[in-house]
Amino acid sequence: MKAGFIERSLRKLAFESDYASGAERIGAGKGLLQGVDPRVKVAGLFGLVMVAAASRQLPVIAVLFGAAFILALVSRIPVGRLAVWIWTPVLFFTGTVALPALFITPGRMVAALGPVSISAEGLHSAIMLLSRAETAATLSGLLVLTTPWPAVLRALRTFHLPVVFVVILGMTYRYIFVILQSAFEMMESRRSRSVGPLARAERRRIAASSVGVLLSKSLQLSGDVHLAMQSRGFRGEVRLLEDFHAKASDWVWLGGFAALAAAVVWWQR
Amino acid sequence: MHIPDGYLSPSTCVTLFAGAAPFWYTSLRKLKRALNTRMIPLISVFAALSFIIMMFNLPLPGGTTGHAMGIGIAAIVLGPWASILAITMAIVIQAVFFGDGGITAIGANCFNMAVAGSLAAYAIYRLTAGNAPLDSRRRVFAAGLAGYGAINISALLAAIEFGLQPMLFHDAAGAPLYAPYPLRITIPAMMIGHLTVAGLAEMVVAAGVVAWLQKSEPQLLRATAPGAPNERNGAAPDGWKSTRPLWAALAILLVLTPFGILAAGSAWGEWLPQDFSNAQARSAIAAVSGSEQPPAQAPEGLNRLATFWTAPMPGYAPAFLRNEKLGYMLSAMAGTGLIILLGLGAGQLAKGQRE
Amino acid sequence: MKPVFELNEVHYRYDQVAAVDGVSLQIETGTRVALLGANGSGKSTLLRMLDALYFPDSGTIQFQGEALTADRFEDDALAFSFRRRVGLVFQNPDVQLFNPTVFDEVAFAPLQMGWKKDEVLARVDLALRQMEIVELRNRPPHRLSGGEKKRVALASVLVLDPEVLLLDEPTAALDPRSQSQVIDLLIGWAGTGKTVITATHDLSVVEDTSDYCYVLNRGKVVSHGTPGLVLSNTQLLAQANLIHGHRHVHPGGVAHSHPHVHPHNHD
Repeated sequence: MKAGFIERSLRKLAFESDYASGAERIGAGKGLLQGVDPRVKVAGLFGLVMVAAASRQLPVIAVLFGAAFILALVSRIPVGRLAVWIWTPVLFFTGTVALPALFITPGRMVAALGPVSISAEGLHSAIMLLSRAETAATLSGLLVLTTPWPAVLRALRTFHLPVVFVVILGMTYRYIFVILQSAFEMMESRRSRSVGPLARAERRRIAASSVGVLLSKSLQLSGDVHLAMQSRGFRGEVRLLEDFHAKASDWVWLGGFAALAAAVVWWQR
Repeated sequence: MHIPDGYLSPSTCVTLFAGAAPFWYTSLRKLKRALNTRMIPLISVFAALSFIIMMFNLPLPGGTTGHAMGIGIAAIVLGPWASILAITMAIVIQAVFFGDGGITAIGANCFNMAVAGSLAAYAIYRLTAGNAPLDSRRRVFAAGLAGYGAINISALLAAIEFGLQPMLFHDAAGAPLYAPYPLRITIPAMMIGHLTVAGLAEMVVAAGVVAWLQKSEPQLLRATAPGAPNERNGAAPDGWKSTRPLWAALAILLVLTPFGILAAGSAWGEWLPQDFSNAQARSAIAAVSGSEQPPAQAPEGLNRLATFWTAPMPGYAPAFLRNEKLGYMLSAMAGTGLIILLGLGAGQLAKGQRE
Repeated sequence: MKPVFELNEVHYRYDQVAAVDGVSLQIETGTRVALLGANGSGKSTLLRMLDALYFPDSGTIQFQGEALTADRFEDDALAFSFRRRVGLVFQNPDVQLFNPTVFDEVAFAPLQMGWKKDEVLARVDLALRQMEIVELRNRPPHRLSGGEKKRVALASVLVLDPEVLLLDEPTAALDPRSQSQVIDLLIGWAGTGKTVITATHDLSVVEDTSDYCYVLNRGKVVSHGTPGLVLSNTQLLAQANLIHGHRHVHPGGVAHSHPHVHPHNHD
């Protein structure tokens, strides 16, 4: 209980902010996937995520994970960052969820740990769950780690997501950083002003009023942004410039993604 | 609460995506006029805010900490339709950019949190707050209840989705392919966590922020309070003088419900009726039920429940409609619906008595 | 030649508070005008009314002889032609920059105008070069410094090459280097035929960057004239909260106070 809620909230805000700037840095770097047309990456990687999430056999998941790992290496994504940003959080979350399955799934017993026993079925389903979650998370991580978010948005547009969704997604991402900054400053100033431990109720009141202050700042912001949009000719319909040039190599990549997905589906027929 | 990739079968994901789609469509239609002007920045900024709120580590009564989603607050300030879109955007950005929650599970997560959560929060808030003045304590209580209810309904839906997986999707040997736990486990596991920590976090944020808004920016509460009097005229007819006993009652319920769920959970085993007359399945059930031998016949109630849905189907209905699994699934869905209806009915009743 | 703007007894209220309280003034084509006032003097509201974002509760605003009213702005053609000719740079760049990248930001207005793709690309390119931000093209706004944000905000408006520029506190919260860049830009617009209306409380820039000043206090015009004339009336400026008495102690124990031209800092 030494680290107060302010410190922990600050740490969480810092983690996400670190991930975002890391993703931007790696995405701007020179790796193999960074040079691929964003539309190809969105289609190919989302396709593989779906195939991975639907896979029913461990070897298939292993192949997909191997492919994701190789793609990460050739795209110069540091393995340490992958471990910190993707593998560990998934392991913590899914691992906790999957662990009891070892013991409580009915089936053939393979090992006994004192009073409890592990069933083959339990082991199988726990491994399936964990490996599938890790693989899907790595594949979807590849997209944002090698593609700037605005390019992801433009690619989504070519898949006929309504313009208004794409615009809102872009603006949401934009204002996450503005509100993140406000939240940071507010938390920092609260921390510098509070000496000694606060009563729980007091901390709760501070937390709720922090959200309230952010809320009212946010609404003020959205009203002003609306005026700024109108001032530059916004009349309800946002027009976007679509400017993609697929190279020959992009078609090769698309073919590669499609072939891998098709092979995996065919294997599990 | 954010379901990752690979927990739900592809068919579940598609079904829930299809379930959320009409709500997105309706939200866009409803906001079409407003969307032209004010709503694009409003929804964007609110989605960003909801994302930031999720990062907050909240101290809760009882010594724990938790994270809120901001669903209650979104529904109260924006109304249910804009709230659906704002929470949807937050979920999509979390899944695609930050890797929280699966890409294939976007439909499921949006259905549970954005759609069901927003609608439930709005309904609970409106029913509980009635025509109380904007600055009444009753609105604070209503907001807390709305946040609490919304997050728990979302969690219940997620628990049901998880719990249906092992029954519907397993390999030839019977090992579950996706989420491995039956309803009997998923419901208490999800609900205990949400009825206590996560629900409380949402309650603290919703009630705390509404109390803060009452003092600082009451006009933000106006949009979802059409019946509230414009000016405070002495004694507030609909505002409760003190909500302290209500909070206390809620707290007692909070403490007791996990036990209730545990008790109910063991009665909610969802082995298929024919399992009870199958020797192998019986020993499997026995193994996980602490060696207590199951009855040789399926409990009458379970049988009836399963046939309830398949019975009205005429003989020429497609085979899948006469399937017990479907019957069971429909029962589970009806059960959820019933719980929600009961909650809403109670709210309505309470409102009727006061008037 | 008709004035660009002609305001007659303009009133505007937020809730119950009068933000603009009976303002009448004329702004001639091609002049650089400063609206001076402390926070809450109504100068930002007035600027937004000149950009037809708010419409008067009572009184009239005419732009090149035509009244600005909410009804007339229902018409797309009229709205686009006005937005094309008048541009507003907001004080807070986080408000002004709502797009995912600098390029998208600068291309926003031309795209809304429905220009052809080639023309949009050429104009964006020109604006980026003009503001010396070509290398920021693909950056997201949250990775820009304050000065860079301000230049992108200016580019996002200058890309349309508007006849009238409305600037809200263009030098506020900038480091000295960015500040002098913006001031150079303002000085450079003299005699180009552009009408530039700047709302500011920074008296130090007024003399170089404007031909005519209006001093606002609590929604009313309290004084107007050439910068030299207006700045010499310290009593009036103090009343408008633009300057305040400055008191300090010199070594040797001599204490005195004197009026001091002193920019107020507001968030």
